[in-house]
Amino acid sequence: MRGIGAQEAKGFWADAWDRVRRRPGAMLGMAWIAVMGFFAVFAPLIANAHPIRLERLGADGQVVSVEWPLLAYLSPTDWLLMIATAFGVPWIFLGSGRLGRAGRIGVLIGLSMQAGATIVLAALLIWAAEGSGIESLERLTRLDAGPWPLILCSAVVVAALASAVPVATSLSRRIVPIVGAATLGFVLSWLAGGQTLVNHEQVILDEAAGKVRATWTLIPWSSQYTRSDMVGIPPGTRVADWEKTASFKGTPFGERRVLLGTDAIGGDVLGQMLWACRLSISIGLVSTGISVVLGVTIGALMGFFGGWVDLLLYRVVEIFMSVPTLFVLIVAAGVLPRNTYVMMAIIGFFSWTGAARFTRAEFLKLRKMDFVQAAQAAGLPVRAVLFRHMLPNGITPVLVDASFAIAAAITIEATLSFLGLGPDGQASWGKLLSSATAATGTFVWWLAVFPGLAIFLSVLSYNMLGEAMRDAIDPKLRKAAH
Amino acid sequence: MASHHTTAAPPIDPLMSVEDLAVSFDNGSGPRIQAVAGVSMSVYPRQTLAVVGESGCGKSVTAMSSMQLIPRPPGRFDAGRIMFEGRNLLELPEHEMLKVRGGKIAMIFQEPMTSLNPVYTIGDQIMEAVLLHQAVSPDEAARIAIKAMADVGIRDPEGRMRAYPHQFSGGMRQRVMIAMALACRPSLLLADEPTTALDVTIQKQILELLRGLQHSTGMGMMLITHNLGVVAENADVVCCMYAGRVVEYAPVTELFDRPLHPYTRGLFRCIPGLSELRNRLVTVEEVVADPREYEGLRSDAGPVMPWWPFMDQSQRPALDDPSRPYALVEVSPNRWVGCWRTPEVARTPSRPPRIAPA
Amino acid sequence: MATYLLRRLLLMIPTVLGITLMVFLLVALAPGGIGAGLAVQGGQMSDTSKVAQMQAYLEDRYGLNDNVLVQYARWLGRVSPLKFGTTPLVAPTGDLVREPRDLPEPVMTWAFPAPASFVVQYTPPEGEALVADFKRLQREAEGTRRTYVGAVRGLKDALADHVRALGAPWTARLEPKGGADPERFRDLPLEGDAPTLVALRAAAATMHSSWTEAEAARQRATIAFLARPYPAAGIEIIPNAFSLGAPDFGVAFSRNRPVWDLIATALPVTILINFIAFPIIYLVAVPTGVLASVRRGGAFDVISGLMFLLLYSVPVVLTGVFAIGFLANNQYLGWFPVSGLHDSAAATMTFMPYTDDAGAWHRGWLLDMVWHLALPVLCLVYAGFAVLSKQTRAAMLENFSSDYVRTARAKGVPSRDVIISHVLRNSLLPLITMFVGIFPAMLGGSVVVERIFTIPGMGSLVIEAINLRDRELILANTFMISSVSLLALLLADILYALCDPRVAYD
Repeated sequence: MRGIGAQEAKGFWADAWDRVRRRPGAMLGMAWIAVMGFFAVFAPLIANAHPIRLERLGADGQVVSVEWPLLAYLSPTDWLLMIATAFGVPWIFLGSGRLGRAGRIGVLIGLSMQAGATIVLAALLIWAAEGSGIESLERLTRLDAGPWPLILCSAVVVAALASAVPVATSLSRRIVPIVGAATLGFVLSWLAGGQTLVNHEQVILDEAAGKVRATWTLIPWSSQYTRSDMVGIPPGTRVADWEKTASFKGTPFGERRVLLGTDAIGGDVLGQMLWACRLSISIGLVSTGISVVLGVTIGALMGFFGGWVDLLLYRVVEIFMSVPTLFVLIVAAGVLPRNTYVMMAIIGFFSWTGAARFTRAEFLKLRKMDFVQAAQAAGLPVRAVLFRHMLPNGITPVLVDASFAIAAAITIEATLSFLGLGPDGQASWGKLLSSATAATGTFVWWLAVFPGLAIFLSVLSYNMLGEAMRDAIDPKLRKAAH
Repeated sequence: MASHHTTAAPPIDPLMSVEDLAVSFDNGSGPRIQAVAGVSMSVYPRQTLAVVGESGCGKSVTAMSSMQLIPRPPGRFDAGRIMFEGRNLLELPEHEMLKVRGGKIAMIFQEPMTSLNPVYTIGDQIMEAVLLHQAVSPDEAARIAIKAMADVGIRDPEGRMRAYPHQFSGGMRQRVMIAMALACRPSLLLADEPTTALDVTIQKQILELLRGLQHSTGMGMMLITHNLGVVAENADVVCCMYAGRVVEYAPVTELFDRPLHPYTRGLFRCIPGLSELRNRLVTVEEVVADPREYEGLRSDAGPVMPWWPFMDQSQRPALDDPSRPYALVEVSPNRWVGCWRTPEVARTPSRPPRIAPA
Repeated sequence: MATYLLRRLLLMIPTVLGITLMVFLLVALAPGGIGAGLAVQGGQMSDTSKVAQMQAYLEDRYGLNDNVLVQYARWLGRVSPLKFGTTPLVAPTGDLVREPRDLPEPVMTWAFPAPASFVVQYTPPEGEALVADFKRLQREAEGTRRTYVGAVRGLKDALADHVRALGAPWTARLEPKGGADPERFRDLPLEGDAPTLVALRAAAATMHSSWTEAEAARQRATIAFLARPYPAAGIEIIPNAFSLGAPDFGVAFSRNRPVWDLIATALPVTILINFIAFPIIYLVAVPTGVLASVRRGGAFDVISGLMFLLLYSVPVVLTGVFAIGFLANNQYLGWFPVSGLHDSAAATMTFMPYTDDAGAWHRGWLLDMVWHLALPVLCLVYAGFAVLSKQTRAAMLENFSSDYVRTARAKGVPSRDVIISHVLRNSLLPLITMFVGIFPAMLGGSVVVERIFTIPGMGSLVIEAINLRDRELILANTFMISSVSLLALLLADILYALCDPRVAYD
């Protein structure tokens, strides 16, 4: 029917976004994710046992010297994250120019994927260069310890590879700035250098004795700072009111409050929870990224080539599908080094089958479609047919599902950490949760409720978002709704 | 011709008559979609009424409305009625409607491949209809079902009772659909593009089968199609629709001899004929865009102009009521054309379209 | 049907092989390797050289020094029901007895030539005497072998000591942890009488003498073994070449018990929990999904959808901790037991609950188990509600708009019958398929649940195995869990084939 009931045409993603935006649940979820993201980036500035400014006083109260322990403490990753967020987020919302907002988000996602890939490649190169062994693997996860030429090298290689993927023409045109950005970022991160530690106990004692004057962060507890005299303090308690630390009465330290209590080894729960945002968010995003890239690639190969490629790879998919993933993940996390990057890799590696199956199904459908056959008939190279014509169409269900995959990855991280298989030396909600039921049989409610709530809200947020996106995009459900 | 004009009242009542039916659908945030906007037609026993028109013109909605198979909401009956055995089908309560559906009015659909439930046997599905509408034992129902299958030309009906739909070809499935529809001896059959999904030789078989069954049972049939060849061979009366309205309503031979509405003319002209030598085919758009095509029609109300929704404002005649631009006008005996509702047309309303079988 | 079943079963073999190979490589290639758990265990001993000898013995016993793929093949050979090579025997205790293995070669033969090989003359006695003889020879072979392996390790240690005494540049060739690989020191000068060199020579002599003893003992034990002191295990097709037998999962490093014994007690527990949970999920989720689809957009649809999404977002660990903390712990409600599958007094309970003469009520074995399982099952089921009810709802909605439902309605079938016999009947098919997705996930989830509630199932077993790096236990666990999972999927497939007439078996 010409002209009857027709509406103004809108772009596919713009239309989907409009539908998502109408769902209050999805918007609340995004708000929570944004809050989590903020803490993930700025946790070192918000919750830190290192004072921002430390004035050493002479005997007569004169300022002898001034130190900035917090700045010295920040690691290259901290710097990189904070700088990127401080410039990137305003650029997305306020920036102007030829690129639309979606384009700017795309560029940022591309850049962060590139940064991530560079880190992984650099890690592998360093590992290969220094010989295998747990020690070197542990060390390379802090990039500051790696030889910088390798990092630079991998940045360039990744940038070159990224430009070879013709997903969007705009990306390949920006190859030069991308290489520049990556190089600059990593040289900067390398120069930013190590973590100078301050003896907290001493600072606190000196502060009480009036030898130093310290300006503390908002929450003056690190995720790593524990005190054996502060085990199991209930939420909201003032340090001086706690029996074992009553001697600090009248000192700045004694006036502090542990807002969400302390855990079984005397660490502050709130501080750890803020730091744990970083682990959750990064594991969710990176492992899903890995699984999407892996799944889409394998799925595309299966769907595009069919035949024995499909037959062979689908057996592999079946293997991964029929084995209890969590079970194998537990085994893998148990025997491999307890390390963030390893955990991201194994979660990604054991959860790509969904994406592969979606992509395969889409590609099998697309392969028979006229526009793809036309592109092939026109003599376009396989690469162009695959990436330019099929990928954008075939990847939609995978992207819709990515939100659920992130939620699942966060759950898995919490579960593994709960089982004691999480990354070593990292604050994690799951780890806090596991200390709620101690071996002594007592149940510490604040260790269950606060981290539990954080896990629940994060998982819920991503699920809500995924639900909204699926409803917005899934044509089958949309058809059923009319 | 003139003598026919005086035979105003048809000798018998129509089996079913659709009168000024209007159906609209909710369109989410957009305005409601008016799928049918005042349609009238009627079917007599032993008669085949062909409803033709392009996809989305409201053919199927009209048929589905008479079975109350329009999901409401989003659908809604805005106006009009559908009379069947003295009752308005649109207002029948659900329990009454259940007796009509499948019992008195049966329907067959376009997609034989998907219209049968894949998890039940053919026999179960035919017997389900029989058991619903006739007070018979299951054994008796099975006998009826076997006979219905034999009637539609399925070999070894007893054996095929236990077969599943996927074991049948498309043409055979459509025969099963027909057997299912006719097992309860309905007085009216609504055939919604029954042969569109089938290949040409099967199409012919199915239509011949339907015609034969119609002769033996005396039922009326509403044949929805967009294939003019099917219309020419099977229909008695043709109702041509566009954009939810009837543009022309006529006996089949007269319509094919002399189409009166530009749209109908356009439809016929764009069929390639073997006898004609033309450089290129004329499109419907070209015909309806030509102002000369709209001239020369007269009715009891004087000169009338065929209705066309995309006509230029400048060419349209002055209307009696801008909110009701359309009326179905009997321009000559048993020939109705959708026209602009000028004040003259509004003053002398035509009788509703009824063409009794000779 | 039979061919279909057979084909499906055959297709499972590569899948199980793939899974176990993956896990095997993971365990073997992980930093620290399989021995890591042993080192931890051995760390409690005070004498480090004793630890090294112990480790050398265990490495030899479990063949940890071989190529990973060789190790995997060996494992596979034991697990496979088709067995090649010398047929193992069954001792009266039920333990499998295998042919004594060849000794590892002596090392540093370029510097200290190996003793000449020899053949021992030994005629095994017959009957009861053979069994007694074999037992003795077996112990002897084990003991001498252990001594020999320890001596090899001692030689390597002596070599490392000597290299350290020589200092740079030789020390650069040492392993990162200080061990010495003899192959790297072929050009090491061995003249002189430095104390470390003397010790090295002494170590070599020890090695040679212990080799001679071990080799003699091995040969005698082999001859006795081949004389068949015990009956052969399984069904022998070609003597000492090909036989059929039950899978042998070996002995768990950590507990020194046959792995099969451990699994035989743990697996039924896990299966029990899952098979209680499954009907609950389907019984709750399917009716909810059906109702939600029938009243699409209504209050029930919206509320049930939201509630299930909320539940779906609660990780199992969270529910577990909350359930234990608030419902089971005596600090709060204390309604449920904190751990285990049974009360400690369960063995003396009657099966059904009863009231004794004094009027006291006893819950009995069955209710005790229900009471213990209530929380674990609760933790296992709720996440499935969302997945399954959503799937039901989607399938129902899809079928509602299908052509055959329209046909049914056109036939005059009442709405209720349309929903039940047409829409629901067809929507059940994808629900069977859903089983494929849910079941492996649930098996994984039960690992966590068992851990939280200290239930002695597969989950607790595997976590223990991981913590101790017990390869045999990890592998057998993976194998069994995958097999159970695959069998369940096969069951779902068969069910699907039975329910959907369109599926042909061949």
